[in-house]
This record gives sequence, C-alpha cells and structure tokens, in this order.
Amino acid sequence: MRVRDSFNSAVNSLRHGKTRSVLTMLGIVIGIASVIILMSIGQSAQDYILNQVQGVGSNLIFIIPGGTVNGRFQSPAAAQGIVVTSLVQNDVNALSREPSISDVVPLVTGQADAVYGDNDLTVTYQGTTANFFPVRNFTVANGYPFTAQDVAAYNHVAVIGSDLAKTLFGANIDPVGQNIRLKNIMFRVVGVLAPKGTGPGGVNQDDMVLVPITVAQSEMLGITYFNMIFVSANPAYRISFVKSRIESIMEQDHGITNPNKDDFTVETQQDILSLLGNITSVLTLFLAAIASISLVVGGIGIMNIMLVSVTERTREIGLRKAVGATDRDVLQQFLIEAILLTFLGGVIGIALGAVVVTMAWLVLSHVVAAGWTFAFPLSAVLIAVLVSTACGLAFGLYPARQAARKSPIEALRYE
Amino acid sequence: MTEIEVRDMKKDYVDEDVVTSALRGISFTIDRGDFVSIVGPSGSGKSTLVQILSFLDRPTGGSYRFFGKSIDDMNDRELAHVRNKEMGFVFQSFNLLSRLSVYENVEIPLLYAENVPAGDRKKLVEDAVRSVGLEEKLWSEAGRLSGGQKQRVAIARALVNKPNVIFADEPTGNLDSKSGAQIMGILDDLNKEGHTIILVTHETYTAEFASRIIRIKDGLIESDTPVETPRRSREDFFK
Repeated sequence: MRVRDSFNSAVNSLRHGKTRSVLTMLGIVIGIASVIILMSIGQSAQDYILNQVQGVGSNLIFIIPGGTVNGRFQSPAAAQGIVVTSLVQNDVNALSREPSISDVVPLVTGQADAVYGDNDLTVTYQGTTANFFPVRNFTVANGYPFTAQDVAAYNHVAVIGSDLAKTLFGANIDPVGQNIRLKNIMFRVVGVLAPKGTGPGGVNQDDMVLVPITVAQSEMLGITYFNMIFVSANPAYRISFVKSRIESIMEQDHGITNPNKDDFTVETQQDILSLLGNITSVLTLFLAAIASISLVVGGIGIMNIMLVSVTERTREIGLRKAVGATDRDVLQQFLIEAILLTFLGGVIGIALGAVVVTMAWLVLSHVVAAGWTFAFPLSAVLIAVLVSTACGLAFGLYPARQAARKSPIEALRYE
Repeated sequence: MTEIEVRDMKKDYVDEDVVTSALRGISFTIDRGDFVSIVGPSGSGKSTLVQILSFLDRPTGGSYRFFGKSIDDMNDRELAHVRNKEMGFVFQSFNLLSRLSVYENVEIPLLYAENVPAGDRKKLVEDAVRSVGLEEKLWSEAGRLSGGQKQRVAIARALVNKPNVIFADEPTGNLDSKSGAQIMGILDDLNKEGHTIILVTHETYTAEFASRIIRIKDGLIESDTPVETPRRSREDFFK
C-alpha cells in the first residue's frame, strides 16, 4: 500500500470519528502548548533579566567580597550569610590610581524604615559616593545628587527613589527640602531619582535611598568595609585587561600571592550575563521538562485510544487482510493515524501556545514589567513538532503492531 | 485448466494439548470457470476448507496447489498478494466499512494491488459498481444501504481486481429471498463471464445454482457430484 493511500485512509478514519480524534488529541495539545508557553515565557524572562544587566553599562566591573573556590564561581559570601570585610578604602585608593580605570565607586547597603510624618516604608538604603550617579546612570529628576563635599563632610542628605517619594510624600508635597528619618537619623532629601524600574537581582530601584557612604558606614552600620565596589573601566582599555589589572592590584594590596586564595571576586557584565544566561536557560529547560510530562500523559492517552480503535476495527483489519493487505500495510496505516493525530495535536498546541504567549506578553509588558519582550523561540516550535510526532511513533507503534499481528480469520469472526 | 488441486488435505487445531481435526484428508480439483458449491452441516469443516482454499489459513497436512503453485512454497506476503490479485471474497455479513461510501469500499482491494495506477482506479471501481447495478449509489454511505444492496457492494469489491476465483461464504444467509435471488443471479453471471465461483452454503436449493456440489461431513468429503440441471433462474430460486 502506498504511503499516500495509507495517509488518505488515516485521514478518513480520523474524519469519521471527529469527536474522538479531537478528544484524543487534547492531551498532546495541552502538552505541546505547555512546553511552548513555558519555553517562550522563559526566553522572555531571560531576555528581560539580561537586558536589565546590560542596562547597567557595559564598562562596569563589580568587585564582590569573598573569593571563588578553585576558580569556580560560587555565590558571593554575603549571599551565604558570611560577612566578608575584605573590601576597604585602601582598595578604592589603589584602584583610583590605575590608568585603565575611570571611576571607583564603593557601596554599602542595609535596610531600614524610611519615615516621614505618619508614613513609613521599609527600604534598602545604599551608602555611596557622589560619582555613583554618573557611573550607574542614575539621574536626579528633582533636586540634585549629593556631592563629594556632602560625602566628605558627613552631611545628612539623601536622594530617594521616585516610588518612595510618592509613598512618603504623596502628590502634593515636594520631597526636596523635606526631612526623612532612617534608623532614627534625620536626612534632608536633596533629590528624587528619575524612575528606573527593577534592577539586576529584581530590586526595585525606585524604592531605594542613597546617602553619603561616610554617614552610612559610621552612623548607620558601624562598619569600615564595603559591600561592593563598582569600577568603571576606561573605554580605551579592553574589559578583560581592566579585570586582570583590578585582580593584580587587589591581590597586591591584600598581600595575596596565590590567585586561588583571593578574598574578593571580580565580575564583568559579561561574566554576569553568561552566569544569568546559564541559570535562566537551565530554569527554562527545567520548566519545559516538567511540561513535557503532560506530553507523555497525552501520548499514553493516544496509545489507549488507538488500542480501543484497533479492537473496535478488528473486522476492518480482517477484511483488509483478506483482500490483500500485508502486516506491514496494516501497521503503516495505524501508525500514520497515530502520527497524524499527534502531529495535528502538536500544530494546534503550537497555535494555542502562541495565543497564550501573546496574551502573557500583553499583560506582562503593560502591567507588570516595562521592557518585557515578546519571545516565541523557533527551537521550541521545532522541538514541539518533533516531540509530538515522536510521541505518535512511540505510542502508536504498540497498537499498530497489535493490529498488524491479527489473524485475518480471527479478525473476520470478531463480533 | 486446473486451478485448484487439493490432495489429502488435513487441518488440525490444537488447544491446550487437545487436537481437533477439522479436515481429515480431502482431495479434489477445481477447474478454471467452475461453479462449485461446498455444502455441509455446521461443524462439518466446510468453512475451514474454504479458509485454506482462499489462502487465509494453511493446512497442517497434505498439499494444496493454486495454479500449480504449492501454498507451502509461499510466504505470508505472497499469500496476501495472491489473495489480492487472484481471489475475491463475499461474506455472509458483508464486511463493509459502514462509514465509507460505496466507492471507498469497492476501492479497498485496489489500495493493496501492485501495478494498478491510481489513475485507473476510478474506472475499475465504477465498472465494478455498474456491474452490480448500483451506479446511482456510488457515493452513498455503505451503512445506509439495504441488505441486498450491501451484498451487491461486497460483490463489486470482490470483482474490482478482476480475480480468477470468487469465494462466496453464505452470501444469501442474511438476505430475504428476493435479494438472495439477485445475488445468486449476479454470481451466475460472473461465472458465465469466466470467473470460478466457490460457494459455501448449508442451503441445498442455493447450492443447486452450481454445476457441482461437494458435500463435507466430519472433515471428509461425503459426495462430490455434478448438478444435472442447475437452478439458473430467479423463478427457480423461489421454488
């Protein structure tokens, strides 16, 4: 029997049992749609996160306290609850003298309640220097950023995020010139940041408070070390070169001779992008793997229905064999039916997935996160079609073999 | 020309060490163009005999040659090919695919035929359907036809590959006498056109449409006799 005739017979069989065909396909439709949706949304989330990191600036290098183990990256010591005090003012001074570095910005961070009148909000405050604003592309929309003199003079001044300004002061009070209380210390608001959105690590940058690092270290945290140092590379030098210079300056400064024993970690934007890219890819694949369980369930559903179909059509199989169909002809016909079912299920699943992904994009980009991009990876579509067709082959083979092995005499006698 | 040659054919069925002999040594020949009725009571072995003659089963003893070629020398694929090319089947219960049209039902053997171009199928199907007088029902759903019409579709399906021999297993068993007469008339016409007809029946008056009757009893041939004056008219059928 020609494949084309088998195909036509399969189409006829499916057409004559429309309801059953649709219900049989449902498992595959849901499975494929789930895989498509999760892979697409995962891709969008990955793009979104990476864009956020890229938005920080490509010449930015981060120095994090705590080292790596045998050169392998591990989560920063601070993230594990370990206080590492290795980043100090000497490092900032030494790095500032390096010609391949344009700017060095130390940073300390903590949490406190920001209070104005009866309003208060728990915020993340960051103590930093005046060059933080140009290095991190933070613009002050109202007022001015604090200056190097403010930092040197331990002035109690603060620049606050736009959301925080709205929460504390409402629409009618100009925050600039008002006093807020942080850890029972009064700060005069000198500026309000332009809206910035969510930053790397999912921090809402519009809720933060920036204060002079001198005040934060001595009066709020009581520390002399830094939580992080931002380094802005001189554009005349390659980032990798600047990174290696930072490492050697820091090692020299800290008296470290074995790089494996570094008490700091230097990360470029590229390092972070590749790390985040890896993490989000693994997460996306993990989600897709979970979704693919429903594909297996759908495939078993198809096998089940095909087995019922083989039993119901026993006399048909007997007749076809009596008039000349070989085992291979019968196997081919039933296998094509199963593959056609799963392939159609795959196509419908892709379409359904596309609709849901588009709706998710509309909602997420307008309501949840500006900058959420639409992603519909072709690899997901290709995988979906291949997997669904493979499901047809895998789960259709057993029923098709059962059909092919039927004896024509027994099949013709079947009631 | 000898079409079918059976020598000492035996068929045993084994079920949990219990051997049942359905055929216990049968011999006969059938020439091309013969109209032979095989008759016998239920359990006599006539159905087993026809299943083997039509290559749906194999004997467990003796020999069976079809156009000189032994069934023992053919594999299952070759048997399927011979069934498709040389044999037509008409069953008591029609065995039509009820949701398919008359056209699609009659076309089925052609789907498995070698050397029949797809373009020739339409004419072959239309010719076969016309020969049983159902051309106006070509695109009707088979399940909606009357019993007599269904059997005529089954005959068209048996004819479409232009086989040498047509096996008709109780073809009138599910029909009223009028429809039965029509079917027997069609089989008689096909025989006159040169097809060998092997008719299995337990009804003596239907068997007498043939020119020869082989009676089977307990797996053996009880008698093999020519019919002096075959019933060849519709009027005869009602007698």
